[in-house]
Amino acid sequence: MKRRENNGKIPIKIEQLAVGYEFPPSIFELEPVVVSKYLEAVGVKNSKAPEVVPPMAIAAYTMGVVAEAMALPAGTIHASQEVEFFKVVPVGATIDCRGRVAQNINRGQLNLLSIELEALDQDQEKVLSGRATLVISS
Amino acid sequence: MDKELKLSDLHEGDELSSLVKHIRQEDINRYAEASGDFNPIHIDEDFAAQTPLGGTIAHGMLVLAYVSEMMTAAFGENWLSGGKLSVRFKAPARPEDTLTITGKIDSIEHKEGISYANCGVETHSQNGETIVTGKATVRFCS
Repeated sequence: MKRRENNGKIPIKIEQLAVGYEFPPSIFELEPVVVSKYLEAVGVKNSKAPEVVPPMAIAAYTMGVVAEAMALPAGTIHASQEVEFFKVVPVGATIDCRGRVAQNINRGQLNLLSIELEALDQDQEKVLSGRATLVISS
Repeated sequence: MDKELKLSDLHEGDELSSLVKHIRQEDINRYAEASGDFNPIHIDEDFAAQTPLGGTIAHGMLVLAYVSEMMTAAFGENWLSGGKLSVRFKAPARPEDTLTITGKIDSIEHKEGISYANCGVETHSQNGETIVTGKATVRFCS
């Protein structure tokens, strides 16, 4: 997987994440070697070269885009996840990964941060949408 | 149920074929490389030992990958192109845990020419602890 472009911005601090903030989108090429690496990591053994990208791989890459754009402290916990798949994505495709802050609530020593996620294919059609909620220690 | 399920195969109450995965720290490290998530809570044993968790934990998305693998085995392309998952992470999965991933068809709905299988999904550790609980919906286009 090659990240071809992102805006290269400095990670944004959690307290600066206003509702509606849109993370810089990032384009990925889902190369066979990268998908194979993912499949091996999740324990899927297959002697054939993968033809289809596992949808949770796309979710993981989209989360990765968003996480890189934030100054997430070590120890951040993933509390919940929603994800919906719309299209099968072939290995070798390019996806456009996006995120948007849906909620950022401070409760004393914790922040509850919800991020809406979306991945589009090269035809700009949605292949995945979702929402991740993270618990962040202040 | 070992074959991929068609709509006509589905009945409320049916259990999906479960999946068992043993997680090692090596697997967690490999997932960090594959996903780009290098949060030290997953891969730095010294750091993790100092936290309230007391040790490293698996990525939540790694555990969800197992849930999706179970759903893919059961429903194939209907899951890949029409699946929906909504889960809560109830407890961390730790290195050397053996996870059992299960699912059951709670209901089958038909709306505007599209059928949906609504499933409950769970992941438990070898101690019976619930790691993940939630819902998975599969869309079958008529």
